[in-house]
Amino acid sequence: MPVLKTYRTEALVLKNHPLGEADLLVVCYTRESGKVRATARAARKVSSRLVGHLEPLTLVNLSLTRGRTLDQVAQAQVADSFPALRNALPALSRGLYVAELLDGFGSEASPNPELYSLALEVLAGIGRSPESDLPLRYFELRLLETSGLLPELYQCVECRKPLVPGDHRFTPNGGGTLCSQCAPLGAHLRPLSVRTLKVLRLLHRQRLAEIPSLTIDHQLAQELKATLTASVEHWLDQQVRSSAFLDHLRRTTPAEPATESAAHA
Amino acid sequence: MNLEHLPSTSPSLSRLIDELNKLPGIGPKSAQRLAYHIIRLPAEEALALAEAITDVKQSVGFCQRCQNLADASICPICADSRRNQEQICVVEDPLDVLALERTHCYRGLYHVLHGVISPLNGVGPEQLKLKELLTRLEGGQVKELIIATNATLEGEATAMYIRRHLAGRAVKVSHLAWGLPVGGSLEYADELTLSRAFQGRQEI
Ligand SMILES: [Zn+2]
Ligand SMILES: [Zn+2]
Repeated sequence: MPVLKTYRTEALVLKNHPLGEADLLVVCYTRESGKVRATARAARKVSSRLVGHLEPLTLVNLSLTRGRTLDQVAQAQVADSFPALRNALPALSRGLYVAELLDGFGSEASPNPELYSLALEVLAGIGRSPESDLPLRYFELRLLETSGLLPELYQCVECRKPLVPGDHRFTPNGGGTLCSQCAPLGAHLRPLSVRTLKVLRLLHRQRLAEIPSLTIDHQLAQELKATLTASVEHWLDQQVRSSAFLDHLRRTTPAEPATESAAHA
Repeated sequence: MNLEHLPSTSPSLSRLIDELNKLPGIGPKSAQRLAYHIIRLPAEEALALAEAITDVKQSVGFCQRCQNLADASICPICADSRRNQEQICVVEDPLDVLALERTHCYRGLYHVLHGVISPLNGVGPEQLKLKELLTRLEGGQVKELIIATNATLEGEATAMYIRRHLAGRAVKVSHLAWGLPVGGSLEYADELTLSRAFQGRQEI
């Protein structure tokens, strides 16, 4: 069977780098082919038909030509430019955080359609509540799940007994929650409060749009972030770079509300 | 003389090729071509090039006000009293100043950030010349800030960050209009460019 020289795909642009005088190296994520790296010739010229169609956090219809090492972008047409993300800094920086994790966990070898749908679901969620970190926490937990790395949330990873209500510990490198009795050697342990565990289970059971309004105070937000980010960074084996800018924005935002979203109706 | 075989026999030529290869946009092939070109140059021309490189490294610094590259502590634009001292145009890098100066339509001052906020590359606001910009606004002489960062995601993020930091200050903040490039057709414009071009439309 002859190999098709060109193919079309819908793709979420994650990042791009300048290449040579006016070319662009584009990294995107697709439903059918997983992560795709492609070159776009002359895409940095103002007169190029590709300019503006290959910015990060843009959903594009791509037409690609297969190459020996990298595919080449023949055509690109924006399908969704996520204006809710592009026009406000809190949403934009959260969108970039999603893009970075998708780049880190996405594989060029094995497609993961579930991960693709998840990313689009989360970007829509960020657009709905741009100041909330809940979509990011949801993304982290589901990202681990679709990658086969979901932390255990219902029983102790060591003794396998169901968790009884109480304060537990969480081990990012040991696979999840530990009961108060177990402390395996070599496991990095973090305290895990009952309310953090409850929110983690909620993020695991419900779809993002269906999660009811939660009142999340600063301490709970910090614990959720620390727990999930520790897991993600453990598997990524490096720090998430865009989280520094998010932290900077949180620190410098005047009078940030204490709740993640509106209180219970 | 067969130049193709020189690198292995001449360590100094290999060194020149290696150094040229480090320049942006210069691959190994171009580096070789440039090196052979330099070898063929008359001695005084080659030395003039070397001297220009040495000189630029010794004498060029940042203008104390606009942070553009300058030979003196104040660049010619900042030193020019005929320029409008109430306007500052904020750009990403020194090449942008040259591009805007070529248009001859702006008579205010500049501020060069030397980069853009790039969360994915770990470049935050503190790595840019932003503190210096805020200091310039303190005297109250500046009435308008024109943000002219690139129309890329990172350029926009930087523009939004600056606007956010200036909220509540008595300075007008504007942004270069987004729109269609000259010679660009509607058909190939992305939807964001089109919608912004529409919002920024002008009476004719
Ligand atoms: Zn146990
Ligand atoms: Zn100056």
